[in-house]
Amino acid sequence: MEMEGGSSSTSIGIQNDTVSLRQRRSKFMHQFTQQNLPACKPVLTPPWVISMFFVFGVIFIPIGLLCLHASQSVVEIVYRYDAECVPEPLRSNKLAYIKDSSIPKNCTKHFKIQKHMTAPIYIYYQLDNYYQNHRRYVKSRSDQQLLHGLKYDGISTCSPEDVNNGHPVVPCGLIAWSLFNDTYTFFRGIDELRVNRKNIAWQSDRDHKFGKEVYPFNFQNGTLIGGANLDPNIPLSDQEDLIVWMRTAALPTFRKLYGRIEENLDADDVISVNLLNNYNTYSFSGSKTLVLSTSSWLGGRNNFLGMAYVAIGTSFIFIASIFLLLHVKNSRSYGDTTNLSWNWK
Amino acid sequence: MKRFVYINEDNLAHDLYCDNRISNRKYTIWNFLPKNLWEQFSRFMNQYFLLIACLQLWSLITPVNPASTWGPLIFIFAVSATKEAWDDYNRYLSDKKANEKEVWIVKQGTKKLIQAQDIRVGNLVWLRENDEVPCDLVLLGAADPQGICYVETAALDGETDLKTRLIPPACVGIDFELLHKIKGVIECPSPDKDIRRFDANMRLFPPFLDNDVCPLTIKNTLLQSCYLRNTEWACGVAVYTGNETKLGMSRGIPEPKLTAVDAMIDKLTGAIFVFQIVVVIVLGIAGNVWKDTEARKLWYVRYPKEGPWYELLVIPLRFELLCSIMIPISIKVSLDLVKSLYAKFIDWDDQMVDLETGIRSHAANTAISEDLGQVEYILTDKTGTLTENKMIFKRCFVSGTFYGNENGDALTDAELLSAVSSGSTDVIRFLKVMAICNTVIPVQSKNGSISYKAQSQDEEALVRAAARLHMVFVNKNGNFVDIKFNASTIQYEVLDILEFTSDRKRMSIVVKDSQSGKIILLSKGADEAILPHAYTGQQVRTYAEAVEQYAQLGLRTLCLAWRELEDEEYQEWAVMFKEANSSLVDREWRVAEVCQRLEHDFEIIGVAAIEDRLQDGVPETIETLRKAGLNFWMLTGDKQNTAIQIALSCNFVSPEPKGQLLMINGKTEDEVCRNLERVLLTMRITSSEPKDVAFVIDGWALEIALKHYRKAFTELAILSRTAICCRVTPSQKAQLVELLKSCDYRTLAIGDGGNDVRMIQQADIGVGISGREGLQAARAADYSIGKFRFLKRLILVHGRYSYNRTAFLSQYSFYKSLLICFIQIFFSFISGVSGTSLFNSVSLMAYNVFYTSVPVLVSVLDKDLSERTVMQHPQILFYCQAGRLLNPSTFAGWFGRSLFHAIVVFVITIHSYAFEKSEMEEVSMVALSGCIWLQAFVVALETNSFTILQHLAIWGNLVGFYVINWIVSALPSSGMYTIMFRLCRQPSYWITMILIVAGGMGPVLALKYFRYTYRSSKINILQQAERLGGPILSLGNIEPQSRSLEKDLSPLSISLPKNRNPVYEPLLSDSPNSTRRSFGPGVPFDFFQSQSRLSSSYSRNCKDN
Repeated sequence: MEMEGGSSSTSIGIQNDTVSLRQRRSKFMHQFTQQNLPACKPVLTPPWVISMFFVFGVIFIPIGLLCLHASQSVVEIVYRYDAECVPEPLRSNKLAYIKDSSIPKNCTKHFKIQKHMTAPIYIYYQLDNYYQNHRRYVKSRSDQQLLHGLKYDGISTCSPEDVNNGHPVVPCGLIAWSLFNDTYTFFRGIDELRVNRKNIAWQSDRDHKFGKEVYPFNFQNGTLIGGANLDPNIPLSDQEDLIVWMRTAALPTFRKLYGRIEENLDADDVISVNLLNNYNTYSFSGSKTLVLSTSSWLGGRNNFLGMAYVAIGTSFIFIASIFLLLHVKNSRSYGDTTNLSWNWK
Repeated sequence: MKRFVYINEDNLAHDLYCDNRISNRKYTIWNFLPKNLWEQFSRFMNQYFLLIACLQLWSLITPVNPASTWGPLIFIFAVSATKEAWDDYNRYLSDKKANEKEVWIVKQGTKKLIQAQDIRVGNLVWLRENDEVPCDLVLLGAADPQGICYVETAALDGETDLKTRLIPPACVGIDFELLHKIKGVIECPSPDKDIRRFDANMRLFPPFLDNDVCPLTIKNTLLQSCYLRNTEWACGVAVYTGNETKLGMSRGIPEPKLTAVDAMIDKLTGAIFVFQIVVVIVLGIAGNVWKDTEARKLWYVRYPKEGPWYELLVIPLRFELLCSIMIPISIKVSLDLVKSLYAKFIDWDDQMVDLETGIRSHAANTAISEDLGQVEYILTDKTGTLTENKMIFKRCFVSGTFYGNENGDALTDAELLSAVSSGSTDVIRFLKVMAICNTVIPVQSKNGSISYKAQSQDEEALVRAAARLHMVFVNKNGNFVDIKFNASTIQYEVLDILEFTSDRKRMSIVVKDSQSGKIILLSKGADEAILPHAYTGQQVRTYAEAVEQYAQLGLRTLCLAWRELEDEEYQEWAVMFKEANSSLVDREWRVAEVCQRLEHDFEIIGVAAIEDRLQDGVPETIETLRKAGLNFWMLTGDKQNTAIQIALSCNFVSPEPKGQLLMINGKTEDEVCRNLERVLLTMRITSSEPKDVAFVIDGWALEIALKHYRKAFTELAILSRTAICCRVTPSQKAQLVELLKSCDYRTLAIGDGGNDVRMIQQADIGVGISGREGLQAARAADYSIGKFRFLKRLILVHGRYSYNRTAFLSQYSFYKSLLICFIQIFFSFISGVSGTSLFNSVSLMAYNVFYTSVPVLVSVLDKDLSERTVMQHPQILFYCQAGRLLNPSTFAGWFGRSLFHAIVVFVITIHSYAFEKSEMEEVSMVALSGCIWLQAFVVALETNSFTILQHLAIWGNLVGFYVINWIVSALPSSGMYTIMFRLCRQPSYWITMILIVAGGMGPVLALKYFRYTYRSSKINILQQAERLGGPILSLGNIEPQSRSLEKDLSPLSISLPKNRNPVYEPLLSDSPNSTRRSFGPGVPFDFFQSQSRLSSSYSRNCKDN
């Protein structure tokens, strides 16, 4: 009995709910059709606007300082080597130097760690004036081929690096063809620093964008050699340098991950880097830079966000005070319709 | 060109002239697709989009997937084609209904029932009472032995009174049976659209009379769409059929209307297009230069040494495609969508429902709501539009007693009723005049009730009132009229009818009492036509005062008089009258002169007051709309005095001394010219003063003015805020609309009858009142409303909101397209001017279709000011009228804003996502989400009132953006796989978003606040006042006070429009071709005389106050 009563009452309750829901809905529809929906009309009143600017200004400045702090906490070693690594006598014609494969491209540089660097330390190479976003370049790839390999033959988009000697190129396209091929080895004193070059590409790319069964084929086999060659025995999904390189950059100045040093570097440690200066940036006066950098919650070293926040915060406070001044000095009657004149002429 | 119509000749002329099939269709099944596509592609915008879509098929230059343009393009075309097809199908259905109506015709001597579409020229058509005339006919026979039949021509010219049509003299007396066999030939002009002229000849073949040529006029015709009334049957021969009838010829295909906003949007689109071309050329050249100087050094790009011949074009075309989104393809779809919603709001509006009839307002044309907010001139019909078109006898003054003053209705006045029942002689005589002195025809129906058919609504009102007061006009049999008073029947013989003309301003009737044999002259007419002719000794002052009093109440007055005639006097006069009536030269003038000889020494019996009530709220509506800056022109087929009277009573013209009426009359060019110049001069002088000057012109003068003095008249039209045009034909109404349109004014025409149809179709906006004159106007109109007063709401609320909303929506559409386009342009500077798209195809398509169009669509709910405030301050409409919210300068503001926002988004994105974060897909999504955030806040900032739907749309859209992108990011095959998840995990992404919003919106908010507070527009001030919530003081609040004062002053007047106009009104309809002989040529009717009376009455009224 009890149960029954309970259940019936709940069903009535549900019924009531549906009825009131329907009523509410029809009321809503009526208000809608009569353009009479309850509305709030925010008006830009001086107190509201002034306090808004003030509050946001006050909030923004600390955020900016926080960002600046994070950015400053990143330790960064930047070394541009493209000019330095050309032997002195050849500097007048760097292009000839880089194109002459008989000249050894080795180059060594020592630098001192200024500040303690906590692992992981990211190794980037930075290219300047390099247009990975050029339309001819960005379009010259085939995502399908990267995933399916030779099974996919609609690679006309890869032109002019699609077919070589009558065989399709895997991976095709200008991007893959121009793969960066400078290499770096690091020494602390005389010990080689272990550089982890695994997991530098995105996991998702390795898993879903680059085929595990796809091996390089007919690559860099043409008359014109672009950048690095690929080991035809390693599937594309494991060619992490390629995967990183094929994530094209949107800006002409960009950094790409080369590897990670997974031990701390102490201040005053002397690091020497042994690099192979293979990649041609001389023909278009681009630059190559090696970067060692730690990381913060905000990413690498970039003062822009912090500075922008501080600047906007201060300007908001400035605007707020100007409006406050205007409001106090010029307390004109607000919303006064008595002097409303309708003389349009 | 002439056509010869052989009557009843079946095998002749069949192929010469078209059949009677009416067709209003635009397409056939076969030509629909090509014709419709051709029409759509004749629009510049569509050509542009098609070109872009075609260019996108070339993969070398396309930055994105071609589907992103083809999809929307096909969708848009399908939508408009479907709409056209549906409209045409409906036209086909209504044509079919008219074409398949069955009519009786004579074939081979026998009557046959055929479909209306099969009528051929030369066929004999038989009509019965209340039949609609299926084609243009020449009358040959009618039930009436004298060959008279009555037609209602409302559908043709909008005049509701019955018109008489005559059988041509040659056919009078032909027997019913013989009519079947009638043969003859009619020589008539080729079809034209003049409904006032039909100059033809007829010759009947033997054995029917002789071979004499019988002239035909319009009086001998029955025109298509008229109705046969009060005539048992009529028969005629078809002379014009199908689309060649007078009606068919004058039925133009209404041009699709383009609103001012649309025109402005087209103009802005053109400007953007030019801008785009400039950008494309500049970037194209820059791109080619950069390619030759820089890109050739980029070995990894591998530019070939020798390109194909079109190489120089490739980069400019790429930029053309990149920039093609500058012109938003979605704008047409979203505009169509919101426009149909505006129309729905009008349909739904509960405050625009006519409670009496339950008729809702309806927007038939869904595309022009914004124009309602930009109207400058309203051209209105009078009868049925401003007035209710119901004449009602309200009061009377008989032998020193006012009846009906207490309760405003004499018919229920106990005093009058008791006077009737007690048989007071004066009252009885008064009622007799009311009942007899007219040309009304009583029609007795089977159940004994009597209805009256009258040419004049006033006469009908009098007869009805008399019947209510037990003086029932029962029967008219030839010359004998029967009147039933209480139980007794009195019979009179009508000896003569002294017809009404507008010059005589009175009509009289001479009757003989069948019992006593007494001959009596009964007269009724305007006071100035009756009172001066009272017999010497009668005190007319009281009557004059009564007339004055009634006129002040806005009633139309009639003085009723009578005189017993001596037998000899009458006989003597009757001879003269007959003579005058048969004279061939100057007949009208002679008749008038003879009449005058009889109409003297009247015994004034009383004054009857008739009300043609203004519709509820007409004066208030006009006053409000005039305050809103709208100019009113009244175009009426009615008489000048009536027009002026109505104009005064409904606030058309401001009261003295502010208002002034200037008359333009004249029958000759010279007169009109002189008048016109005089009026123009006055106008020029007074235009600087805050004076309200209106001109009054009649149809004749108008025709001359339009023909010969068009320039002067146009100047006058521009100078004058108010005009009253009387006695104008439907085509003149349309010409006036055309004239105002040619001066670049936005016109709204409102009317209720068939005579307004052309004006309604001609005007930028046509509003029809679904009234007593049928639904023609409402059907032809863009908007149909139940009552004139809804016009106020239609314009001030719906029109204004629609304009505001469209202004925002269209500019915003350009803003968002420009925003993304500018970013693409900026990006090209850092991508070697090679035409790379920063955004991927999915984002670009979804940006226009989903991300940015949803929030802005709910701006159809935005209200900048509440309806109440707008009604109280109708002047605010000026912002819409003058197009202050959508013009090149406001557009420049939006342009600047999108440029600024593009800079903010771009600079912040490329700086915060620099170096190791500069991955293409990520940067692209950061920039895109920056745009989405900004546009959400822009919509929020520009929204004046937030309903729940707006919140849902704006913020829900923002959430929707992330949901969509998360979904796309979850698809491994998509280019942006995992991108959005990656970004959302980065604190720097969110910090960047907040920075973009703050950097983009801070200055915009500051600027808006500054202008809102320190350079506030009137809208802003009212918004602030609304916010303060206090009573909004303005003229609007003073108004009701003055009105209530007036009520105190005259407690007798209930629900009567305020009016103190003593322009006495001849109440009977006069013939349109009557000449104003009595005034003499060259002397224009001087209104200033009555003006002085007007002012005196005003001043007295003021004293009373």
